[in-house]
Amino acid sequence: MGGDSRKETAAEEIMAFFPDTIRRTLSRIPGVAWEKVEEIRLRIGQPLNIRLCRGDVFVSENGDLLPSVTGSYRVTADDVYRTTQLVTRSSLYSVEDELRNGFVTVSGGHRVGIAGKVLLDDKKIRTIKHVWALNFRVSREVAGVADRVLPYLVERDRVKHTLIVSPPRCGKTTLLRDVVRQISCGIPALGFRGVTVGLVDERSEIAGCYKGVPQRDVGPRTDVLDACPKAEGMMLLLRAFSPEVIATDEIGRSEDIAALEEALNTGVTIIATVHARTIEELERRPALRYMTGLRIIERFILLGNDNGPGTVREIIDGRTMKALGGVTVNAEAFREPDGHSGNGRLRDHGRPALCQASQGTEGPGDRPGRARDRDFLRGDAPGGGL
Amino acid sequence: MLETEISYGATPLAEAFDSVAQRTDPLVSGLFGYARDELATGTGITAVDAWQKAIDTFVPDSALQGEDVGVLRGLGPVLGGSGCEDQVRHIRLTVEHLKATRIRAEEEALKNVRLWQYLGFLGGIAIVLVIL
Repeated sequence: MGGDSRKETAAEEIMAFFPDTIRRTLSRIPGVAWEKVEEIRLRIGQPLNIRLCRGDVFVSENGDLLPSVTGSYRVTADDVYRTTQLVTRSSLYSVEDELRNGFVTVSGGHRVGIAGKVLLDDKKIRTIKHVWALNFRVSREVAGVADRVLPYLVERDRVKHTLIVSPPRCGKTTLLRDVVRQISCGIPALGFRGVTVGLVDERSEIAGCYKGVPQRDVGPRTDVLDACPKAEGMMLLLRAFSPEVIATDEIGRSEDIAALEEALNTGVTIIATVHARTIEELERRPALRYMTGLRIIERFILLGNDNGPGTVREIIDGRTMKALGGVTVNAEAFREPDGHSGNGRLRDHGRPALCQASQGTEGPGDRPGRARDRDFLRGDAPGGGL
Repeated sequence: MLETEISYGATPLAEAFDSVAQRTDPLVSGLFGYARDELATGTGITAVDAWQKAIDTFVPDSALQGEDVGVLRGLGPVLGGSGCEDQVRHIRLTVEHLKATRIRAEEEALKNVRLWQYLGFLGGIAIVLVIL
């Protein structure tokens, strides 16, 4: 099955960056657990630590997952040295630009955080030496994860201005990537033709570019600006690539908002993610409060970890600031990619527990389209191929 | 040349080895060629492993002496393991060491030449004496 081969590939891709000692230990971890690995952490003299969907565990030399440090494999200085060499292709000097942000992106789109002694140059990070800790963030492409939310985001031939609001590790980048892929491809089930997407991937996480080539499927009509500061990237794309949609990750600084505003004035649709748990938390940051004050964002998607990464807690209509429905979706999909139809269908149609419309969230001023929105949540909407 | 590749091009080591191997004298290009091939052999090979193996393969067929080999081996553990400035410093240090060993070797060679000349002279005198 497609999903399985993808998981194997992710594990194999990651394995290539470890020296024999660590690789031997990791290869003994049961396959089922591998599917849930989100992060692998190496610290000199400390136990080998991995983070699964829910919580972290330590790993013994035999690949057993342990709740405490007793009996765990201790990472040596040589392990960290060799892993750093493999991650940087034995060329730490060639990734100094990336190191300034504290991580490098490796082939496969996985991100490796690097900590050690920081060397400064005029108060800015020049490079990192004496590396003592590494953090592998396993990047997984989950095609179809956006199926449930897309009916809320597209309208005839346009995409709505959308903000994905989420705490860390709740799957906002994975969701954004799949939204980008699908709107770029087109969604026949929703009668949506594909649009040109400009993707500013400052942290190389969405498209997972390696040497400028996207390692993740972000769709055929997507232009990626890799490792580019968001504000400058958005301007560059507007000038040179005439996108219909601009997508970017983790906005927050005032220059990002200024660039978004500029883009909005040219008639481009914005899709972005932001770190926050709730709209209130988001509005505590002045730049973001300014943006919500503009009343331009049409959809806020609030993610959580209630049922694993990817739980959509709420979709809020930006005009009325009222919830369109609470959906508990895709928690399974994040763990078990099981192939994708690419047409916006709800994959677990017939599993009502995973697909419920929230009760009593509708206000008196609902638009007529709201009923259709609710129907999508129930999975029996007309015209959606459901 | 390696220093230039690293400091100006920030070229990854495998490509830097390749570039140096193609542009240098056949007498030394082998070392960089072997290192490039080792680095490309697959999983788990780091720069230090590749460099040491390349030296092991290259030295028996070369004119390198024990002291030169020691200096070259000393470069292995630092290759690619640090920032640009640090790499340049290490490469320059290695070059300085190699220059020093070359000067010593030349002096040694000169001494040997004088010795042979002297022996030749003595030998000639001995032959003349025998004839007489």
